[in-house]
Amino acid sequence: MADTPIPLEVRDITKRFGNTEVLKGLSLQAQKGDVITLIGASGSGKSTFLRCMNLLEQPDQGELIVHGESIRFKETKKGREPADWKQVVNMRAKLAMVFQSFNLWAHMTLLENIIEAPVHVLGKSKQEATEHARQLLERVGLGDRADYYPAQMSGGQQQRGAIARALAMDPEVMLFDEPTSALDPELVGDVLKVMRDLAEEGRTMIVVTHEMAFARDVSTQVIYLHQGQVEEAGAPDQVLGNPSSERLKQFLAPKH
Amino acid sequence: MIDLHGYGPRLLEGALVTIELAVLSLILAVLLGLATASAKMSRNWVLHRLGTVYTTVIRGVPDLVLMMLLFFGGQIGINMFTDWLYYQFDIDIFINVNEFVAGVCTIGLIFGAYMGETFRGAFLAVESGQIEAGRAYGMSHALVFRRIRFPQMMRHALPGLSNNWMVLLKTTALVSVIGLSDMVRVAAEASKATREPFTFMIIVAAIYLLIASVSEWGFARLQKRYDVGFEEVN
Repeated sequence: MADTPIPLEVRDITKRFGNTEVLKGLSLQAQKGDVITLIGASGSGKSTFLRCMNLLEQPDQGELIVHGESIRFKETKKGREPADWKQVVNMRAKLAMVFQSFNLWAHMTLLENIIEAPVHVLGKSKQEATEHARQLLERVGLGDRADYYPAQMSGGQQQRGAIARALAMDPEVMLFDEPTSALDPELVGDVLKVMRDLAEEGRTMIVVTHEMAFARDVSTQVIYLHQGQVEEAGAPDQVLGNPSSERLKQFLAPKH
Repeated sequence: MIDLHGYGPRLLEGALVTIELAVLSLILAVLLGLATASAKMSRNWVLHRLGTVYTTVIRGVPDLVLMMLLFFGGQIGINMFTDWLYYQFDIDIFINVNEFVAGVCTIGLIFGAYMGETFRGAFLAVESGQIEAGRAYGMSHALVFRRIRFPQMMRHALPGLSNNWMVLLKTTALVSVIGLSDMVRVAAEASKATREPFTFMIIVAAIYLLIASVSEWGFARLQKRYDVGFEEVN
């Protein structure tokens, strides 16, 4: 059997907003089944880094290779832009994103949300997409909420719905941007449980999070960012259990 | 019973002209409005300026003046062009500006500018996360527009849209100055001939009111449709 291409690889990404350099050359490689967590204080660039991976932010420099395909860029007067938006659209369909504020489409029911991209982007039939969507909703514990609108659900339900929406794409890699940060504490557990299940079944995931227990238990690799650079990276036991960087020690110290 | 002195059928025809004129103008105005809103929100400098000039000029000149300018000025312009064709290439054609087409174009052009502002505000009111989610799931610009931006924008645009429509409907009365037989013109003629202006004007008023009420009901239904998912149910 031939080697399958690496799901996602980024090399030397840099990004500046005005005069501030927020990412100073970040790289990452997600092999199949990897769960990589990005941790760091706010302003460390972790969310921006994640958003560069599906080009919701345009990196100024660096390479992006999705499933073996390198994204082509061109230089313009306003900076670097993707040379071929079709390629970007195809690439994004392989990387499903879960947002901090859920961003389920408010004018659609939960079921409509989940079948939207499979039908209109992947070209699946409505019937096939609906069947798949119902299975996914059962899986995330929302089997009885298919016809609800997002505004009629709790934050935790919306986020689990958003995860189902991501799964419906059969993505190569799932990107999570602080998926539990906007939730009430008692709702965090359900969302994390779904994410743990996904990790166990071998999904490739990149997770920006403040949930250290999740990072410790679930990830294959933890990357600690500080001011747009990797301060420390490695296996969770080592990075979280026995950090060598002073800053990371302080970051992990219990706050009272 | 009210005696219409045989003007009934002509009044009805006039009412139909009014409705046709209003609906076609509305369609043109909505299309122009969407284009203007996109131009004004565009990062392209030329498009942006073009949109601004359009809305500024149209909104700053009285409707009646614009209508005469476009109708008579348009005819002069076309005549000059056909003359030029004749002298240069020996092509002999004569184009007469049709009053109805001129009316639709003028009213559409005027209200396109107002619609542009309505739509621009409405587009800006759509939460950016909703659009971002579309892009993140591999939707093209066109698909994001059709499936997310447009339907979510409409609930913000509808109140302004319905307001513009009411004003547009009444603006159609101006077309009588360019000789189009809408119901106001018919009623004016009938009033003169029969010396019973009150009878005809009250009928015209009632018909306008009827059209307005029906469209208000229609807009309320549309609003309900586009509000789906946004009323929080607890």
